[in-house]
Formats: sequence, structure tokens, C-alpha cells
Amino acid sequence: MRFMVARESVEVIKTEKLTFTYAGRNEPSIRDVGLSIEKGEFVILTGPSGCGKTTLCRCFNGLIPHFYQGKLEGEVIVAGLKVNEHPTYELACHVGLVFQNPENQLFALSVEKDVAFGLENLGLPREEIRKRVDWAMKVAGVYELKDRAPYELSGGQQQRVAIASVLAMRPEVIVLDEPTSFLDPLGAKRIFEDIYKLNQKLGITVILVEHRLDLAAKYATRVIVMNDGRVLLDGDPREVLSLEKTRLLGVGIPKATRLYQLLKNDGIPLKSGKVPLTPEEAAEAIKEAFKSD
Amino acid sequence: MSFFEGLKFRKVSSPIHDLDPRIKFVFVLVIFVLAVVFAEILPLLFLFILQLPFVLLARVGKQWLRSLKGAIFFAVLIFLMNFIVSFIYAGYVVTAQMIENAFTMTFRFIVLVSSFSIFFLTTSPDVLGLALEQSHIPYEFCFAFTTAVRFVPVLADEAQTIMDAQKARGLELEKGNFLKRVRNYIPILVPLIVNAIRRSLELAEAMESRAWGATKKRTNLYVLKPKREDYLLAFITVAILALAIYVKIFVPIPKITQILRISA
Ligand SMILES: Nc1ncnc2c1ncn2[C@@H]1O[C@H](COP(=O)(O)OP(=O)(O)OP(=O)(O)O)[C@@H](O)[C@H]1O
Ligand SMILES: [Mg+2]
Repeated sequence: MRFMVARESVEVIKTEKLTFTYAGRNEPSIRDVGLSIEKGEFVILTGPSGCGKTTLCRCFNGLIPHFYQGKLEGEVIVAGLKVNEHPTYELACHVGLVFQNPENQLFALSVEKDVAFGLENLGLPREEIRKRVDWAMKVAGVYELKDRAPYELSGGQQQRVAIASVLAMRPEVIVLDEPTSFLDPLGAKRIFEDIYKLNQKLGITVILVEHRLDLAAKYATRVIVMNDGRVLLDGDPREVLSLEKTRLLGVGIPKATRLYQLLKNDGIPLKSGKVPLTPEEAAEAIKEAFKSD
Repeated sequence: MSFFEGLKFRKVSSPIHDLDPRIKFVFVLVIFVLAVVFAEILPLLFLFILQLPFVLLARVGKQWLRSLKGAIFFAVLIFLMNFIVSFIYAGYVVTAQMIENAFTMTFRFIVLVSSFSIFFLTTSPDVLGLALEQSHIPYEFCFAFTTAVRFVPVLADEAQTIMDAQKARGLELEKGNFLKRVRNYIPILVPLIVNAIRRSLELAEAMESRAWGATKKRTNLYVLKPKREDYLLAFITVAILALAIYVKIFVPIPKITQILRISA
């Protein structure tokens, strides 16, 4: 692993036998989910549409069971707090949720005001809000946009404002639910780079729900694949993504990884120790293979 | 599209835009009340001229003229109504006095329109929202106000998209009698409403995730603090009010027709 710096392992999210059924539905949307996520991890959560990724994210900050009614079984503990015993606004200070549609998570008439929204709700002193808002806007790269109205921004900029506004609350964990599905590939790439920086520089734990593994996989320290409400695979990205099982589920594995698989199936294993996730890594492995021949 | 464009607000800065909206509102209110109290053309003219520096300083002349132009229809209506009623009342004769009275009523209406258009043209919704908040109006209401302003352009865009999509499927909006036309709008309203409901659910979710309702004593990043200019405006407002009361009690205001007769 590239950067398992000697951090003490602190568990920030723990779920045990977590099962949730939305009110009015017969089948649970997630079943028996048992996860333990440690501080500083960069987790990619993926799986076919409707497998329960969003539902799981909602459990992490208490939207389930406080906002969405239904039957919750098992346990979710976030930053040491049992989610069913603490209101969403308290959990929001530990877990920041960024949603798919950037448009529907900005309420204010200017960027700055939006970033301040959560802190204003908490009733923090004005100077503290000012400090944190400026900091969050700078970190998320939207400081120059602070007086603009949300509709004047591109999708990527809007999503960055959404990230800034959860960052301002100084959470330990940021959960992003398909944050790039409204963006073009370049915009998506930039957002991933920025999320990676948050993870590296601030030590924020990242849980990223994503289908665009081609762009995102290289940042992950861990990939979790869900199917039909259950966690199917959970482990090192290179291992999980090179499994045949993952591909057959319809997970869009990185092209470099697929290339590796195909070569291997044809009896041309690339010798280098690791499974490639990016075109660069694949090119490197192929060059090495040529040299050693 | 120009109609939808008009729904978007822009942040503008000018000596008038930067005034404390609460004091500006009181000023406009005083003008409003005085315009109703005085029924002579001279004080109304004074109130009208008083507004011109505000229009010029705020550089909203074009929009201001547009709102006055919008009022022309009603102005003409008011003039005719007043004129015709007094014409019949006086036994079918026309006097200069009657024309002056009808004109005064019309002009009063214009002064009222102008004062409110100046207020809304020079007060951006976010400042207005802030003023509402700091006037001890419940935060939920202020939030509803700013959110509505924020989503009007979004919904307008969406309405346009849906209209285009339905037209592409053969919906004809401008066909048939009145009832039929109203019915034509159902395929536009239904998706619009469904979308708005879905949108509001997502918004509620995002609000919850940003500590909505954590405390009753919410802070606000901004505070409205009256500046020198605001005190100046407050002073002007009080001065106008005092002058008006003085004139109303002690000075008989001549009508234009009377002045003309004297000089003639
Ligand atoms: N608010 C809700 N009420 C009832 N059922 C819901 C609700 N939200 C999701 N579901 C159901 O729960 C299941 C899991 O949905 P979820 O949104 O968690 O999937 P997902 O993995 O996020 O899918 P996608 O990749 O499409 O976003 C689906 O069968 C869905 O229909
Ligand atoms: Mg989802």
C-alpha cells in the first residue's frame, strides 16, 4: 500500500448486521451489512444500480432512521455515536454527505452564504463561522466564486461548493454519493483529485460511491462491492477489481485492469507484482514484460 | 427567454443598493403614506422629484422606466375613471379643475408605483432575506423566501425544457378555445409539479445533513449594521415627514388652476 503511514487505527464507522427496510416496502434495501471503516481510509463503494449504496450512505449520518422511516435492524456507530440515539444534526458534525445532484443541495443566494449554512444552523459564533467558511472555500477551491449565485456556476463548481459546505462543518468523514454523475469526465477527474487531497492532507476519511472506476480507482485504499443489498466483496482495490466476479456483476472496472485480465486469460500474465488500475501502470507493466523477454 | 432572464437576480453595488433595506423600506413607506395623504399636485410632484436622485445614484433608470411603462395602462384607466365620474357628476361640463383632479389621482398612482419599484430594484433578495431575519421574523419564513427566489430561475428553466419536450411530442399549446388551452397546460404542469416535489425532498435531505434545526438560536454570517449613509437617509426621512406634517397643518396648498388664475 502506498501510504499507510503509521496512523493508529481508529474505527470511525462500524456497522453490524445492518438491515433496513423502507416503510411500505416488503424487501429490505440493505441486508446484514457488517463494515468497519478506519480513520484515513479512502473507500470506494460500488455495485449495480439499486443495490443499496445510497441507502447505506443514509445510515451513516442518521438520515436513516430519522428522516426516512422504516425498519432498522442491527447497529451503526459513527464516531462513537449510535446513529439511532443521536439526531441528524449532531451526526452531521462528524459525517458530511455530498449528494448526486449539486443543484438540489445549495439553498442560498451566494456561495459564501451556502458554505455558512450548516455553521449558522449550529449557532456558532460569527467569527468562528467566518474563519471556517473562508478556510473551507479555499480548500475546496471556490474562494473566488464566493459572491456568485448558484445558478451562475457550472455543475463542477456547484459540486465543489457542496463539498466546501460540508467541509466547513469539519467532519471526520465525508460521504459522496455519485458526486460526478452530473459532470463531464474532466470535471469528474478534477473533483476526484480534490477529494484525494482532502484525504491526504487533512486525513479525512472518504467514502465515495462511484461508477467511474476508471478515474477514481487509483485513489482508493479499499473497494467495497455491493449487490442486492449485501456487501459482496470488500478489500484491496487491485484484488477486488481484478476478480472475474466483479466484472460479471456489471461493475465498470478500469480498462487497464480489464486489459490485464484479458492478457492473463490468454496466457500472457504481466509479471509485475501488481494489478494495474491506470493506463500508466498498465503501460509500465507491458514495457517490463517486453524487456524481460 | 427575456421573461425568465428577468427572474434571475444579480448582485449589484451602488450607494442605494448598499443602504440598509430596513431604513430604505421605511423611507419608501413614508413616501407611500404621504402620497396617499396629499391630494394636490404640488406635493406629489415634490415626492416624485425626490425619488429621481435615488434612481440616478442606483443606475436603475432603464428598469425604473420599464416599471413605469408597465403602469401606463392602469394610469390611463385611473385618469378616465376619475374624469368620467366627475364629468357626469358635474352635469356634463368640462372644467380645468376636473382635469387637474383626474391628473392628480393618476400622478399619485405613478408616485406609488415608482417608490416601490425603486425599493425592489435596489434591494437584492439576499439582503432582503437578511433584513427579514433581523426583523425577528421566524427563520423558517425567511428561509422559505430566499429558497423560493433561488429556485425560481431553476424552475423556469425546467418549465421551458418540459414545454419543449412536450411540443416535440406534438402537444399544441395555442390551439382551441380558452378551456381547451388551459387543458393543454396539464401535460406541462404535471411533470413540473412532480419534479418540484422530488426536488424538495432532496433539498430537505440536504438541509438535514447540514444541521438544520440544531438550535433555536441560529447565528447569521452577516449582520446589518447601519452606516453613515443609512443615518443620513433616516434623517432625510424624518425631515420629510416633519415638513409634510407642518405643511399639512399650517400651509394651504394651492391648486394649479388657482395659481394660473392669479397670475393671469
Ligand atoms: N425513499 C425510498 N423509499 C422506498 N424505497 C426506496 C427509497 N430509496 C430507495 N429505495 C429502494 O431501495 C433499494 C436500494 O436503493 P438505493 O437508492 O439505495 O440504490 P443505489 O445503489 O443507490 O442505486 P443507484 O446506483 O441507482 O443510485 C431500491 O430497490 C430502491 O427502490
Ligand atoms: Mg444511489
